[in-house]
Amino acid sequence: MKRLVPFWQLALAATAVLIFYSCVLRSAPADLMLQAQLVWGTNNDKPDDPKLKDVDQKVKDKLRGVFKWKNYFEVNRQDFTLTASAPRKVKMSDLCEIEVQNLGNSSVELKLYGKGKMVVRKTQRIKSGELLVLAGDDKNDTAWFVVLSLVEK
Amino acid sequence: MISHEIELKLQACLDGELSSDETRAIEELLARDAGARSLFEELRATRTLLAGGELEVKLPETGEFYWSKIRRQIELEDRRSPSINAPEPVSAWWVRFVTPAGALAALALFVVVALKHSEPPEPILALDDSHEIETPLEETSSFSFRSEAAAMTVVWVDSHRE
Repeated sequence: MKRLVPFWQLALAATAVLIFYSCVLRSAPADLMLQAQLVWGTNNDKPDDPKLKDVDQKVKDKLRGVFKWKNYFEVNRQDFTLTASAPRKVKMSDLCEIEVQNLGNSSVELKLYGKGKMVVRKTQRIKSGELLVLAGDDKNDTAWFVVLSLVEK
Repeated sequence: MISHEIELKLQACLDGELSSDETRAIEELLARDAGARSLFEELRATRTLLAGGELEVKLPETGEFYWSKIRRQIELEDRRSPSINAPEPVSAWWVRFVTPAGALAALALFVVVALKHSEPPEPILALDDSHEIETPLEETSSFSFRSEAAAMTVVWVDSHRE
């Protein structure tokens, strides 16, 4: 029986589709679901401030494993979707703001602004379960932390 | 005037290729037509001359054996080269399939490997990548470190605050 389409033509078409699909996948960065947390670290007990919340136990354990402070409290938390179209600014406090850009291939560029001025810029690949932390010391032997992570789906 | 058809009949008669009726008709024509008779004699003389000058080739063996050798040679050649209509051997089908499939698989593997290698490699060691950090303010400095245990990359910003 004569085949309608020769096999080599099918193979060629399949290869072309595969290459095209691979190029499309690589050329279009996927959206990233991110979470940014502003955390305050201290060795004192939790102050009487209703805005402060306990940090997730997993994040707290990680911070405790690296830094010297015993207690970590969440000042603000923002969940957002980062597309490839444009960088996104997220306000963490009255004085602190971050700008995140999706560079593709799970890489992000994170900029930290303090009082409107860029304090630091960091480019990093971010993976599930990993934390990207911008941190600095604060008065009375305390510290601030901006914790960026992928939202677990 | 003798027609071309009569000329052919005369030649055929001379070669002994006519039936008895046709031969009789030609003989009657020769008896009454001088032109036909003249042409017939001319053809017969030419035939005699050619037959006398033609080389006689003698076969080294009998004609039957000679032609049987040719027939066997033709049959042998036929067996060596299968005819166009002969059914395809079984191996041809899978060879036609495996060759492009193998090429396709190799190409797909190449694409996958190329894509994988085009991504930034995973760090073998927890190296500091502080070159990707920018701290534009003069009154601040920063350094980066990574904790593999905590799966955490930290950029510590020092504002030189006393």
